Amino acid sequence: METWVRFSAQSQAKERLFRAAQYACALAGDTLRRNGASAGVLASVQQLEAHLSLGRKLLRLGSSAEALEAAKRAIHLSDMVLRFCVTLSHLNRAMYFACDNVLWAGKTGLVPRVDQEKWSQRSFRYYLFALVVNLSRDAYEIQILMEREASGKRTKGSENGRQLRADNGLQQLGLRLQIQLRLLIRVLRNNPPLLLDVVKNACDLFIPLDKLGLYKTNPGFVGLCGLTSSILSILTILHPWLKLKP
Amino acid sequence: TAMEGFVDFTNRCQGRDQLFRATQYTCMLLSYLIEHKAGKEKLVMKLKQLESNMSSGRKMFRLGNMVHALVAARRTTQLPDVVPRFCLTASNLTRALYFICDAVLWLKSAGLQPDIDKLKWRNRATKCYYLSLLINLARDWYEISWRLEQAIREEKTKENSSWDKHSQKLHHVKCDGLHSFLLLLFQILKRNPPLLLDLVKNLCDLSGPLDTLGIYKTNPGVIGFCGILSSLVGIFTLANPCLKLKQ
Repeated sequence: METWVRFSAQSQAKERLFRAAQYACALAGDTLRRNGASAGVLASVQQLEAHLSLGRKLLRLGSSAEALEAAKRAIHLSDMVLRFCVTLSHLNRAMYFACDNVLWAGKTGLVPRVDQEKWSQRSFRYYLFALVVNLSRDAYEIQILMEREASGKRTKGSENGRQLRADNGLQQLGLRLQIQLRLLIRVLRNNPPLLLDVVKNACDLFIPLDKLGLYKTNPGFVGLCGLTSSILSILTILHPWLKLKP
Repeated sequence: TAMEGFVDFTNRCQGRDQLFRATQYTCMLLSYLIEHKAGKEKLVMKLKQLESNMSSGRKMFRLGNMVHALVAARRTTQLPDVVPRFCLTASNLTRALYFICDAVLWLKSAGLQPDIDKLKWRNRATKCYYLSLLINLARDWYEISWRLEQAIREEKTKENSSWDKHSQKLHHVKCDGLHSFLLLLFQILKRNPPLLLDLVKNLCDLSGPLDTLGIYKTNPGVIGFCGILSSLVGIFTLANPCLKLKQ
């Protein structure tokens, strides 16, 4: 119980729990619909999801400031690519939160005549861009680590001389791909924070892709992706060593 | 910088909750003040909508707090003094009951359990909250009373030592019982800002349940004003943790 108290005292932790619950509702709603549940059950699941979503929007009311602060801190990073990626990602998140605040004001009736559709699309565009920047940062980190692993292996001497004996171009390409893939798996396995971040961003990617109509899946799959990324994010809060630094 | 301070403050769940609470009660006060003015119906409706949204959002965030209250109750059973130990544990347990009733009300408002009697559970929740406030005030009164006794004893020893110097001091202490009592009380509260803040907060929070339970009906303006004051005290104690009454 002590862990719960420490955990939920952090504002972000509770928000992640509600996010997991919201996407679980989306997933459950879709599954129930496929299995022919009654309209009443579907309506109450949808109402719960809307309730959770609106509540989360309320909780995010100050988050633009947080994201801007994080962007300000990220400008001082030493690595230039990391500095660019992380700052850009935080700035996009700040814009996403600002659009989200406008959506909240519209939903609660504070500001009349908010075009929900337009602002929703805007917010998802910023979110998508932030995720793409995050994934490119992950790719950069993976590339550095792979180069380091590969050069480490080369100094130790290549263990399989198969690399040097390839009969034709296609086989050579296949072998090279196989080596790269094995290197990638080894890098990811030795770096759980990086692996977690890649999976989280990849799962999150399907949400704006679906909402913007770029790659339509179904609501159940979107719910599953959202639920997975929320669970992974809760894991990083429970075990801070799993969070990718910076 | 100011923004860093804001971020640090709102990052804690309680900070955001107090801000939302202050906003909720501001809306209550404002809508009461301008309710009967001509041409302000739309604004009043917006204020009421914002208030109800903040209230239901805060209910959602409170969903895990019964565990917080139970853990706090377990912690306060270890306190050395008998009276604070009893008072704080009882207060935390009644708060846990309040959070359970609050969670039931949230289930109703989220549409998960439509056949919940909202009025009955709201009454129960208010009674638990009212009880916990009374227990908190009892604890505040205990803290004030032993400090009062200590101050009176100090006055007596000072008066005994300076008996041969001036007898005017004797007159000063005994002349107006109520006056000197209030002066002493004021001095004690001035010397103990955490105690003063806790007392003010509990007294202000009392206005809501007193009205809901029908014990002392006021109007939404008074409840709003008291709510804003108690939220400001809460924000102030969160920003300056040294001002929080030790538990």
